[in-house]
This record gives sequence, structure tokens and C-alpha cells, in this order.
Amino acid sequence: MERKVEKLALGEKRDYRNLLIVAVFILLVPLWARPIPGDVLHLDIVNIMVLAGVYACAVIGLNLLVGYAGQISLGHAAFFGVGAYTTAILTCHFSWFPTWLGVLAGAALAGVIGWLVGVPVLRLKGNYLAMATLGLGEIAFILFSQLKGLTGGTVGIPEGIKVKVGEIPALSVFGFKFDTDIKFFFLVWAIVMMLMLLNINVIRSRVGRGLRALHSSEVAAEAMGVNTARYKTQVFVLSAVLAGLGGALFAHFEGYISPESFTFSLSILFITMVVVGGMGNLWGGIVGVIVLTFLPQVIQAMPQWIPGLPSNLKNFSNYTLVLYGILLVVFMMFMPSGIAAGLSHGVDFGEKQFKHMRDRVRAKKYEGH
Amino acid sequence: MFKKSTIGLLIACVCLLVAVSIGAVGCGSGNKVDASKSVYKIGAVLSLTGPAAPLGTSEQKALTMFQDELNSGAGVDGHKVEFVIVDDQSVPEQAKAAITKLINQEGVSAVIGTSSTGATLAMVPVAQQNKIPMICCAAGTAITDPVKSYVFRTPPTDRMAITKVLEYLKNKLKVSKIAILHDSNAFGTGGADELAARAPKYGIQIVANESYGSTDTDMTPQLTKIKVTPAQALVVWGTNPGPASIAKNMQQLSITIPYIGSHGIANQKFIELAGPAANGVVLPAGRMLIPASIPANSEWRKLVDTFYTNFKAKYQSNPDTFAGHGYDAGLLITDAMKTAGTDKTKLQEAIQSTNGVVGIDGVFTYSPSNHDGLTTSDLIMIKIQNGTWTEEK
Amino acid sequence: MGRADDRQRILLISSAIFIVLVITLTLSLKRSTGFQWILSGLTVGSIYALIAMGFSVIYSSTRVINFAQGEFSMLGGMLMYSISVKGGVPPWIGFILSVLIVTLVGAGLERVAIHPLKEQSVIAVIIVTIGLAIFLRALAKWIWGTDPVKIASFSGDKPLRFLGASIVPQSFWVFGFTVIAVVLVFIFFNRTLVGKGIRAAAMNKDAASLVGVSSSTSSLLAWTIAAALGASAGIVIAPINFAAYNVGIMLGLKGFTAAVLGGLGSFPGAVAGGLVLGVLEMITAGVVPSGYKDAVAFVILILVLLIRPQGLLGKSEDVKV
Repeated sequence: MERKVEKLALGEKRDYRNLLIVAVFILLVPLWARPIPGDVLHLDIVNIMVLAGVYACAVIGLNLLVGYAGQISLGHAAFFGVGAYTTAILTCHFSWFPTWLGVLAGAALAGVIGWLVGVPVLRLKGNYLAMATLGLGEIAFILFSQLKGLTGGTVGIPEGIKVKVGEIPALSVFGFKFDTDIKFFFLVWAIVMMLMLLNINVIRSRVGRGLRALHSSEVAAEAMGVNTARYKTQVFVLSAVLAGLGGALFAHFEGYISPESFTFSLSILFITMVVVGGMGNLWGGIVGVIVLTFLPQVIQAMPQWIPGLPSNLKNFSNYTLVLYGILLVVFMMFMPSGIAAGLSHGVDFGEKQFKHMRDRVRAKKYEGH
Repeated sequence: MFKKSTIGLLIACVCLLVAVSIGAVGCGSGNKVDASKSVYKIGAVLSLTGPAAPLGTSEQKALTMFQDELNSGAGVDGHKVEFVIVDDQSVPEQAKAAITKLINQEGVSAVIGTSSTGATLAMVPVAQQNKIPMICCAAGTAITDPVKSYVFRTPPTDRMAITKVLEYLKNKLKVSKIAILHDSNAFGTGGADELAARAPKYGIQIVANESYGSTDTDMTPQLTKIKVTPAQALVVWGTNPGPASIAKNMQQLSITIPYIGSHGIANQKFIELAGPAANGVVLPAGRMLIPASIPANSEWRKLVDTFYTNFKAKYQSNPDTFAGHGYDAGLLITDAMKTAGTDKTKLQEAIQSTNGVVGIDGVFTYSPSNHDGLTTSDLIMIKIQNGTWTEEK
Repeated sequence: MGRADDRQRILLISSAIFIVLVITLTLSLKRSTGFQWILSGLTVGSIYALIAMGFSVIYSSTRVINFAQGEFSMLGGMLMYSISVKGGVPPWIGFILSVLIVTLVGAGLERVAIHPLKEQSVIAVIIVTIGLAIFLRALAKWIWGTDPVKIASFSGDKPLRFLGASIVPQSFWVFGFTVIAVVLVFIFFNRTLVGKGIRAAAMNKDAASLVGVSSSTSSLLAWTIAAALGASAGIVIAPINFAAYNVGIMLGLKGFTAAVLGGLGSFPGAVAGGLVLGVLEMITAGVVPSGYKDAVAFVILILVLLIRPQGLLGKSEDVKV
């Protein structure tokens, strides 16, 4: 037992170290990605990374819910949408409304709704919970399209609402406007890194241990005095808040939202990101988001990398989803506990090899003496 | 065992890819474009996957065909033309990402797209900020009302189609009470709202306004509700296959009031799906659907006839209206490029001063206050009789 | 335990009474219109039930939710179109051929993509089924294009009328097929040794292998049956809902909903879930403003689940400690 605690503390240190490395790596992306001429990769890396960042907010929360607490949600697009619509409605209907406050309001409202539905719905288990959350997602989607006065219906915001604004205003904090891709990139990924910090703290805390107990066996956890219902609700609300935050950022980045962006497919995409990245793995959320946001874009851009390809082949699109589907299957077959786990195995292996080599070199040196 | 089978699967897929690719390459012909001149790059954001895929796929086919036509001739003044096509997955955020990429990475001088109204609206701010001309293939009224300086469109707007329907209801059918049954997606809702807003001006009262989900297969509950109202005609606003189910359900429930469809079902597919139930359905459509309705020997008729022949030769099927929208978007941009080159501001001016350019959908004329191009007279009402289209005058 | 059983029985009876009450109320207030809704609901519900059974077959043997189940039906319909409508092969041969091909596809996918994951967590397998669904749908779009296709009704389109309501003949084919399918599947899983073994394999792999059914064969058999079931369902319903490359999404979603509503893994439950869902949808479409019909249906669904957390006919699973 003592050993385990020690290991945990060591793990925590390592987590912080890794977070620092990842943060530096990601924040440096624009530095090398921007100078690449457009006709080399045919990918707008910074732009895709922004979208990945807003999705990451939702997926990190969902990973806590699915990966650590073992509760499946197929309706997180609803919270993402609530966040987006809240800030879009507030800042478009009332032009004086500060955008940063809109974002906070979006996250908060998503949390409140998460609590209201979470309390009854979390009594359900496994696939029944999945079904109920799927239903909630559909209900939210219908409300987004039907409450025309508020949400602009299927036309969306801003075109569908009465107040005439060109687009949803850019996010500004203390007068600083995040109105370009690159500014938004830094904002979003700084937020994601803070969420990761929060994530590490949650997992390593008492709550985190309770959650893991919940995941492995609810009955045992309850017997050991863990208030499972409360833990479940707390994590559900936290994941809703994070999804709402992601959605609100999404609205300000896009400048336009309509119900089409918050469908069942988005909920499925979120859960796929969690599992492909690595369920219950600290890095699973981020890895899953980046891989699955880039994958379709990369597949689509691939024909452009081959010079001299006839244009009707360059524009050939039928293969993209075929390949995407196959890759999804292949990922799960070769890395069933997620890419993050696969990566960290690789890193561990590399580290071991490195140490091994170092030791050998040292030994040789020693021999030489 | 498991690795082997995976590899087998991958190999099978690669083989399939290659096989389809070889089929897709087709044959090229003599090249008269001037290789020393720069390539004109035009971006195209199209919905190739997702719910709007049927629209985007047609547009893609037409654009690819148009590109081949241009480049096997003299291109645009000897410049080779390249359409860089990007899929928007039928969602707004991907459409926005696509146009951003086309502008920043591909350096295109104009953009075509996209197929659905929502995704197009997401692209509009980007086109406006980057001052890049954009011609879209979506019909939602909100796109060009109010006019955005860099945004144009090729298809007839929902408003034109609705005007046509209302005129038909008032002048031909002489009814005063109608029911609406529309798809709950953007196309259906947009049309129904427009119809409800403008009907009173024509002295027409909406006695029922119902909707159905795009994937619903049985609309009898909504129809039984409509059956008990005093509606004298039913206007159905949606795209396949919903309206075909409605036609069959109406027959099943023996509802005999006239069925007015939208331009969304102006394709052979509707007749095929609804079968005998399609008979008697009246709908607004572009004239390209019935080439015979276009004055013979006119330039328009000639273009449409060639378009039909080439499209059929290349894809073994008749073009639909969406193919026409895509083709026209390419046509209008390249036409403007003849005078303006690739300078974005000049190109915008050139497109805006397009006057009487003959396309597939009609004769296009833009002005600073009108970015719709077509007028209501480019549409006709057509009636389905014995499985074929006839013009309803 | 006994008290819990009693409570369940009471809940089951009360939910049954509630459903009967809703139906009688609709019938008495709306008369022939209400009857029409219920008839339409039963047709649509049978479609859902057929798909839901496919979900239940795979669930009851492997505990996996197969999100590619709807795609089997899509493939069945599209193949039927290619073979019989385009190819001119007599419909019954076309039917057999299509079902055979999809069954092979199902079995093949199980061997290639599902079987290697047999030691992995259920959620990993579920994501694989999502991947397979995307793959099959994209492949279908590649092969058949995006347009929906028409398959003629098996015995004409002349509606039959009675008590002021009407129904298309194809509905009877769907009803009949549902009954046959549920009887066959029920007999297989409850009366044959292999079937019992498959179910046992899901609960206890070692015990099942004693009966001679390894978890590997049971998974293969389940996928084969589910694919055959899905494909034949897809063909029978194609004249009503049109076959197209993307119908699998809707069918899968409704089938999953029906299976969960009825109680996952229970075959009578799948049928009950499908029928209740279908009738519920049609009544809400008739009663509430139709824009909100699906929202109301889902609210009722969630309420039903909150009252019966294991679905209408599902057994509450023993919680493993």
C-alpha cells in the first residue's frame, strides 16, 4: 500500500513534467506550421488545431465521465450546443454583453442543465444510461431547431434572429480581441492545458480514487462508503461544464452556429475520440481529439501530395470515409486501450532502451578504465 | 491470424481504390491551354458526405466535367483552370474550415459553394473578411438578403420558388386555404416560413403547418391531421425521399387535394420513388429539367442540350438541377475571369456586372443590389403525368 | 429478493396498463384517426422491432452493442435492388442471394475485426462497430451513389381499408416477417443446445465451453444470425422506407432505442420495444405540434426508463461484486 502511494506521487510529478512538455510542443505548433507553404501539405494545421482545441475541452470532461467514472454518455453534443447557443444568444441579442461573460454563462448553464438531468438519469446504468443521454441529445437538437425566436431555428445565429449583426462577435478579454486563428489558437490551447492541470488534480485526488472505485465496481465502492450517486453527479456536471465551455468557445470562433453542428454524430464523435485516444488515460482525450480531427482532413489532402495526379483523381472523394472507417477499426485492433496508452508504451520502451544503452555505454567506459 | 486478416482487408481496399481510380481517370484529349501561363485556381467547397451529399455529389460531377471541357479547349484565355474541391461533410464548421484553407493554403482567387444553406452562411463571413468572391449553390433566402458584397448564388432562391407556387395557387387553382407539410431540416423549414409569411399577400390562409423528420418513412399522422382541416391544397416542402412517402401516404389515406411540391423534388428520382402516386404532383423547377420548355435554337437551349449530352456520356445518367447549379457557378466565375483575371476586387466587380450570361439554370444578371442572378421567370411550374414532366402553363 | 420481484411485476403491469390506457384513450377520442395512427405505428414499430432483434442477438451473446446493425439492413436493401430490380433476377432468388451475401459479410467482418478483440473491453468493440458502420456506409455510397432506390412492394400498393383506417399490403409482409423472425430466433436461443450455449457464453465463458460452445464460435454465430436478420429485414421494409446508402443510421438509431426500451437481450422485449416506440411516435406526431414530436417521444422514453431501468421486458442484471 505504501509503495502504491509513493508510486502515485511519483506519477503525479511525471504527469506535470509531461504536461509541460506537451504544452510547449503544442504551443510551438504555429511556429513551424505557419511557414510551410500551402501547396505542400494542403492542410491548414493551425485552423484544424483550433477546432481540435474546442473539442478537446468537451472530450477531456467526457473522458473523466466515461474513462474514470465508467458512465457512458451519448448526448454530450447537447451540452456543447447549450454552451454555444447561450453565449451566441446573449452576445448577439444584447450587443453590450461581454463575450467572456457569455462564455462563462454558457459553461455555467450547461452545468446547471447537466445537474438537472444528471440527478434522475444517472440512476440508469450502462446501455440504458447511454440510451437516455442519447435521448437528451436529440431533445436538445430539436429545441435548438424549434425555438426560433431564441436560436434562429434552422437558419441559425446570427442570420436567423431578428437582431442584425454580421456574425457572432469575436471573443474579447479585457479589451483584447481574439479575432484571428492564431490568437484563438493560443487562447484555446492555454485553456486546454489548464483543463489538463485540473484533470491531473481531479484524478490524483480523493474524488479521483472514488471515481476509479466506481468504475471497477459500483457495489464495492458503495460498500466502502463511497457516495456513488454524488460522485457520479459531480463528474457528470463537471463534464457538462467543460462541454459547455468548449461549445461557447466554438461559437465565438465560428461566428455562426446552427443546429447542424450539434447532432448525434458529434456525440458519437466525442465518445469515439475518448476511446480511440485512451479511455481513462490522462492523455487519452487530447490524443483522441487531435488524431480524429486531423484524420479526415489528412485523408482528404493525401491525393494532393502526389504531384502530377489527374485532377479528377485529386477531387475524388468517395474513398475518404471508407479509409476513415477502416483506420478506426485498425486503431482499435492494434491499440485497444487507446493510442495514448500505445504511445506511452512506446515512450516507456524507448526510455528503457535509452537507459539500457546508457548503462551499457557507461559499463564500457568503466571497462575501459 | 489476426494480423494476416487485417493486412488482407487493407490489400482488398487498396485494390478497390486502384480499380475505381483507373475507372475514374477516363480519357483526356488534346491540350490547347498555354502551359506558360499561370493556372487559375478556383476553390470549391461541396457537401460530398453527410446529409447534403446528394447535392454536393451532383455539383462535383458537373464541376469536374466543366473543368475538363475548359482545359481540353483553351481554358480561360489560355490559362489552365483548376477547381480545388474540398468536402464540408455537410456541417457549418467544416465549411468554414474549408474556405479558410482554400484562401490561406491554396491561394484560390474565388470560391464556389456550398450546397446547403447553413454551411454556406458559415462561409459568408470568411469570404467577406478576405474580400474573396464566392458563388454558392444553396437556395436559402438569408444568404443574399441583405446583399453581401462578395457573395453571389446560382440556384433560384426559395423566395422565387415560393412566389411561383403562390401565383399558381392563386391564379390557377384559385384556392384560399392551404396546408403545409415540410421537412424539419433547414431547406424545409426555410421554405415553410417563407410561405407562411407571404401567403396572406395572395389572400391565402394557412390552415395547417406540420413537419416531419428527414428520415421519417410514415407521415400518415400528419396527413390525418391535415385531412380534417378545410385545406384545398397541400404544399410539401422537402427533398427526397420524404415527399415520395407523403405522396404514397396520401394515396393510402385517399386524400385527393392537389399536391404542390418544392423544387427540391425536381428530379427523376421522385417519380421513380413515388411511382403512380407521383401523378398529378405540381412543382416549381428550373427550365433545364425540361429542355423542351426552353425556346428552341436559343443559346440557352443549345447549352442545355450539350450539357445533357456530355453529362450523360460521362456519367451515364441525366443531370439534375444541382448539377446545373454547380456548372453555372464555375461558368460565371470563369466568365468573369476572362476580363478580370485573378485580382479579387476586379473579379468581384466583374461578377457583379455579369449581364445576360447564359447558364444552365437560366440567363444570369447580377447588380450591386441583386446577387441572385435569376428571376422568377426562369422557373416554371411542372406537372407529373404518367411518369413524365409536362409544363403546367 | 422476493419483494424486489414483486415490485418489478407491479411496475411491469402498471407500465403495460399505462400503454393500454394511452392506446384506448387515443382510440376513443380520435376514433378512426386514432386507429390510423396505431395501425401506422404498428407498421413502423415492426420495422424497429426487426432491427432491434439484431441488436439483441449480438448483445445477448457478446454484450456488445453493434452500431453497424442498421448497415446490414441497408446492404440487404441495396443488394436486392442491384440483383432483382436492376439485374432482373426473380425476387425470391434475389432475396436469398442478398441475404446470403450480407450474411457472409457479417461473418467475415466478425472474423476480421471483432474476433481479434475478444479479450478487449466491450467499449473498444463498440467503437469498432462504429468504424465498420462508417466503412460500410461509405462503401455503399461509392457503389450505389447517393440516390434512394425503389423496390416494388411484394404484393401491390392497393391499400386495404377497414374501420375507417387504411394500411398498405406491404405492412402485412412486415408483420408476418416479424412474427416468423421472432419465433425462429426465440426457438433457436431457448430450445436448441447451441442457442443456449451462445447465451451461456456471454455470462460464463468456461461454463459454455463445457457445453461445447466456445465464445469464439458463439460470437461468430451471433454476428451471422444478426447479419442475416438485418439483411432480410432491410429487404422486407425497403418498399416502405426506400433503400439508400444512408438509411442504416436511422434504422440503427431506432433499432437501438427499441432494443433498450424493450430490455436489451430479450427477444420479446425487442418486439415490444419496437411496437411501443412505433405507436408512441405516431401518436405524438398526431397529437403534438409535429416539430416537437420526436422530442416528446424521447421524453416519454426516458420517463419509461426511469420507471423501469432495465427496459420493459428486461431482467435486471445481477450486479457482479
